[in-house]
Amino acid sequence: MQRSMRWLSMGLVIGLAGTMAACSESKTGGTATGTDAGGEIKVGVVLDITGAGASLGVPERQTVEMLAEQVNAAGGINGRKLKLIIEDNQSTEDGAAKATSKLLNTEKVDILLGASRTGPSLAMRPLAEKAEKPMISFAANAKIVEGSKWVFKTAQNDRVVLEKMVDDMKAKSITKVAVARDASGFGEGIPEMLTEIGKSAGITISAVEKFAPDATDFTSQITNLRASAPQAVLIWGIPPAAGLAQKAAKQLGLTVPIYQSHGIGNQAFLDTAGDSANGLLAPMGRMLVADQLKADDPQKAVVTKFIADFKAKYNANPSTFAGHAYDGFMIAVEALKKAGTDANKLRDAIEATSKWPGISGVFTMTATDHSGLTKDALMIVTVDNKAWKVAG
Amino acid sequence: MSPLLKRQLPFIALLVALLVFGAAAPQQMVDVGIWALIYGFAAIGLSLLMGLAGQVSLGHAAFIAVGAYTQALLVAKANLNPLLAAPISVLASMVVALLVGLPLLRLRGHFLALATLGLGIIVGVFVTEQEFTGGTSGIFGLPNISFGGRTYDTSQEYFLLLTPVVVIGLWLASNLVHSRTGRALSAVNDSEVAAECLGVDTFALRLRVFVLSAAYAGLAGVFYTHWLTIVNPSVSHFELSVKILLMVVLGGLGTVWGALIGAVAVQLLDDGLRGLIPILIPGAKGEIQLIGFGVVLVLVIILMPGGLAQLWARFMGAVRQRKHPIVRGEHEHPVSQEEQRALLEESLTLLARAEHMPAGETILAVRGLTKRYGGVTALDNLDVDVKAGEIMALIGPNGAGKTTAFNMITGVLPPTEGSVVLEGKEVAGKRPHIAAEIGATRTFQNLQTFKSTTVIGNVKVARHLRSKAGLVRGMLLMDRAEERLIDRASQAAIDAMGLTSLADKQIADLAFGKQRQVEVARALALEPSVLLLDEPMAGLSGPERDSLSWLLRRVKASGVTVLLVEHDVAAVMALADRVAVLDDGKLISLGTPAHVTSDPKVIAAYLGEEDDQSGGPATGAPVATSGAAAGGQA
Amino acid sequence: MTDLLQLVFSGLAQGSIYGLVALGFVAIFAVREIVNLVQGEYAALAGLAAISAVGAGLPLLVAVICVIPLVVGVAVLLERLTIAPVKKMTPLTSIILTLGVSTAVKAVMLLIWGPEAKGLPTFPGTDITLGGVSIRSQELWVLGIGAIVAYAVIWFYEHTVRGKSLRACAEQPIAARLVGISPRTATVVAFAVAGFTGAVAGIVGSPIYLSSWQSGLSLGLKGFVAATLGGLTSLRVAMIGGMALGVLENLVAGYLSSGYRDAVAFVVLVLVLLFRPHGLAGKPSAVRV
Repeated sequence: MQRSMRWLSMGLVIGLAGTMAACSESKTGGTATGTDAGGEIKVGVVLDITGAGASLGVPERQTVEMLAEQVNAAGGINGRKLKLIIEDNQSTEDGAAKATSKLLNTEKVDILLGASRTGPSLAMRPLAEKAEKPMISFAANAKIVEGSKWVFKTAQNDRVVLEKMVDDMKAKSITKVAVARDASGFGEGIPEMLTEIGKSAGITISAVEKFAPDATDFTSQITNLRASAPQAVLIWGIPPAAGLAQKAAKQLGLTVPIYQSHGIGNQAFLDTAGDSANGLLAPMGRMLVADQLKADDPQKAVVTKFIADFKAKYNANPSTFAGHAYDGFMIAVEALKKAGTDANKLRDAIEATSKWPGISGVFTMTATDHSGLTKDALMIVTVDNKAWKVAG
Repeated sequence: MSPLLKRQLPFIALLVALLVFGAAAPQQMVDVGIWALIYGFAAIGLSLLMGLAGQVSLGHAAFIAVGAYTQALLVAKANLNPLLAAPISVLASMVVALLVGLPLLRLRGHFLALATLGLGIIVGVFVTEQEFTGGTSGIFGLPNISFGGRTYDTSQEYFLLLTPVVVIGLWLASNLVHSRTGRALSAVNDSEVAAECLGVDTFALRLRVFVLSAAYAGLAGVFYTHWLTIVNPSVSHFELSVKILLMVVLGGLGTVWGALIGAVAVQLLDDGLRGLIPILIPGAKGEIQLIGFGVVLVLVIILMPGGLAQLWARFMGAVRQRKHPIVRGEHEHPVSQEEQRALLEESLTLLARAEHMPAGETILAVRGLTKRYGGVTALDNLDVDVKAGEIMALIGPNGAGKTTAFNMITGVLPPTEGSVVLEGKEVAGKRPHIAAEIGATRTFQNLQTFKSTTVIGNVKVARHLRSKAGLVRGMLLMDRAEERLIDRASQAAIDAMGLTSLADKQIADLAFGKQRQVEVARALALEPSVLLLDEPMAGLSGPERDSLSWLLRRVKASGVTVLLVEHDVAAVMALADRVAVLDDGKLISLGTPAHVTSDPKVIAAYLGEEDDQSGGPATGAPVATSGAAAGGQA
Repeated sequence: MTDLLQLVFSGLAQGSIYGLVALGFVAIFAVREIVNLVQGEYAALAGLAAISAVGAGLPLLVAVICVIPLVVGVAVLLERLTIAPVKKMTPLTSIILTLGVSTAVKAVMLLIWGPEAKGLPTFPGTDITLGGVSIRSQELWVLGIGAIVAYAVIWFYEHTVRGKSLRACAEQPIAARLVGISPRTATVVAFAVAGFTGAVAGIVGSPIYLSSWQSGLSLGLKGFVAATLGGLTSLRVAMIGGMALGVLENLVAGYLSSGYRDAVAFVVLVLVLLFRPHGLAGKPSAVRV
């Protein structure tokens, strides 16, 4: 049987090879790197649609789909149709790498958008750089763009978020903070950065705990934070973990102010945390409190329209993550309008974005700043009875 | 064309086919092919472990992860050339397997499977927690492999790079299956106790295959690293272990080619489902293709446990039936009576060991051998000396403790107390292969043949101790000369038992009596100095019993000591030099047949005291004439 | 000290869930010598189904009463479809088979309920604080229901004729058949019991630990470890072992590092299998490791 097994395998492979050879397409040259051949514009999007990052990826997908429709309905980009190709990275780094390879090599997209979270975005970066195609990530960690020529991002840098937070702590005379952070790329380096930024305000960290993005029990972490007698607690993660941690913190008797990151800006967080969210403090983009913005705020018009469109189409409020996707997509569209699909020109156009009002803030990119936002993009926001309110 | 050369043809064909595929197929198919090769390589190793050695590993991804992470660390942090780092990474996987296998491989079945699952999780947790492995993000931005001025970063190039490696890996694995090691492993899978009693150190063997399978997985990990260019904890996850397991099961357990076929099938299934599901179920998110995996696993196990290989075998079997209704194996040829006797003499000469202990000296000394199970004493303080070159029989009513004694003497059962000294060395409580190494082997009351192979396949296992080729030599085909010797000696043993016409038949197809005879042939092939036979007459017809008695006398004449347990009292009395009688766990009589048959204690044990109704079962009074009645209830 | 008590207490609650799952493993193994890798999925399925039921408007109690028999039915149905037809069941076969079933069930749950983790609303009650240790009302429910169900199962197997006769099946299937115990009935009952304890675990734990298509894997494995502590034959040790495992996990997470939590179960497994393969109960069982 062993011998015949081998003949089977050999036969199968030969058959496969033969079929493949017979059907093989001629190798298309495709557009040489950089040049613009006209025709359809392909935008490749890699999102965390399933897995731990789904609460980010799904609204982001909804956003880009809606915006692509709007763009095409208005005649496309300089008359050229926009083709959106969305891939699910299953919230994993290798899923992101595989999806990106597919978009670059098979679909031959003109620009890459995504991913929703830091880890997968980091996996995409080397591929975009090697292919020399511009990439705009919707995720937060500065490592994504540090030193990169081709990669940009639209979520506020952790740094500016922490800066805003430190300002608030300083105003409240808080000097001892206990930190519970997401164990993935999103949370890496946060305690260190907080120490660095908070030094001038005399802020020290009394305890650091980690939690897995899909953790459901936080007793041990919160207990340890509690034991370090902090004046405030920082929970740095995304829903559902961030919401559960918030709940656990209140339930285990923490009465000090609880700060959250800018990653909690969606309904999922409010649902999970319920009443325990009341009184928390988080630096957020303006979209969550659009109705409380002053009339002369440069972002008010953009934000209000986006909320209205999203609600009309999906019957739900957009989250901050949807906002990051909006920014990434529209910056791309603007740049494509100005420069076409030539990779180098496109990249330059993105880098030239200046004082552009988006959802996450007003963007000004430079050669050294591919994130484009300062701490002014954020406001300290709190939760009151399941609604986001500007903190007093 | 020699059979050996013929066996190489499929590999050459595979090599050519893969090269053609890699060069000509569209990129999307080649991408699928790359993952099929990478995971298939790991699956080959798992197939050896699961199919050949019969051990389930649910955590095989752990070894892929060790290989991948080690490679990533060496290349990214220590800036080592990938080609230099690769052997180190493979070695790392092997070392981990060794350390883990030493304690874990003592476990069996479910427990081993779940322990390996646990291993996978522990590796995952470890790499997630440690800073130097990059935590949940892992290590990224790794370089592609490059040497000779060429960087292997396109699909075509990488596929063509992988092809020779995978084909060679398959070739080595296939050689292993047909080698002495492969044979021993298959035997262990069929009947561990029989393999042990034939001298196979089952633990050491299993450990070696475990480490080998980890080597395959580790190298797969290296290839994974340089294709994906990022390594993170997902490479150790349970889902990947399941996928590799599915490849092995679908392709056919125990067939290394099956592993590769299964790999292609599963990758196609995975990709196909991923493409199909959004069409069938719009809005479906993500890993729904797992339904497909799960369903396939279940269906394969229920309907087609041998996997695709089984389908193929059945097909080829039917084809062969139609073309050659009478199959004659290479070892079979009809033999006449005189030829039979001549063969027998010749083979016995071949099997006779030069150095036997001088007749009359004690070759096996049993002292105070006792076995207690809780409150029950199965054997109580047995003392007996077996002299070299004699035939000693162990008889007694059912439940007397004969097989228990046998099992303890051969190492199958550890004694509660007592010692067993074989040719001057203590073997009590030690694994059976130790006794086999000294020169004692046995047959079994309840038939422990190696069901998955032929008659001669069974006998060849017994030559394990008389040959030396290990794992490596087996894989590299450096054992051909030795295999020929093994073949000849096995043939001789088969001829000695008059089974020449059955040599190439599947042993499972033979009648019970014939299988017993094979067991005896197998034991003889070991060239033992002490041959222990547990009820060898049971299931044999009258002429077959005579044959066996005659054979045993000839065997004794060549210097071998024989110890047998029997119910056929008449045959025993005619054959044995001395008889030991057990009753209720105790030795009640020891001496020549004549002495024992007239011993009142023996008579009482068999027939009961005068006032009792029938004491023991009617195993036949010492003066019974027909052996058939006595032996019928074995 | 309060921290220690805090960790211990919530560990006991988490561990009760493991214990309930472990009972299911023991129930099946005692009858068929199969390690049923689908065990954890019963819990996930029950949790998710109950959440849907409540979401559709059913009161909590009604939802629970409806879902539990449903999951029991699924457990028995899966057994009839996939395990009963296999004539020769070896450890290898049973592992691969139950693995396949659990994979398919997971994916179906993903299809129906999506990828996010969801929680059942908490059962009625208020959280309390006792001596600095905060106790969630749901944790009290978990402990209470866990104890009751465990006791009931143990009582069934040890004090009813029905239950005792079922345990005979694994040891001597032919003898059992000869005295009128149908192996088929025994198997069905065993799977029903396993489905029951799994469903209870999934429902009562859902408000705190959440249910998702993936939660069955971890629960199943940790339940198996707990069952192994009892040599796969002792119900008592399985339950208590589960609780001990929960406490140990919390202690490791609290005092060492939370990341190592998941490794605890397997380190325990390996240690037990190496040094006391017949479980911690002391009496060597028929299970040959």
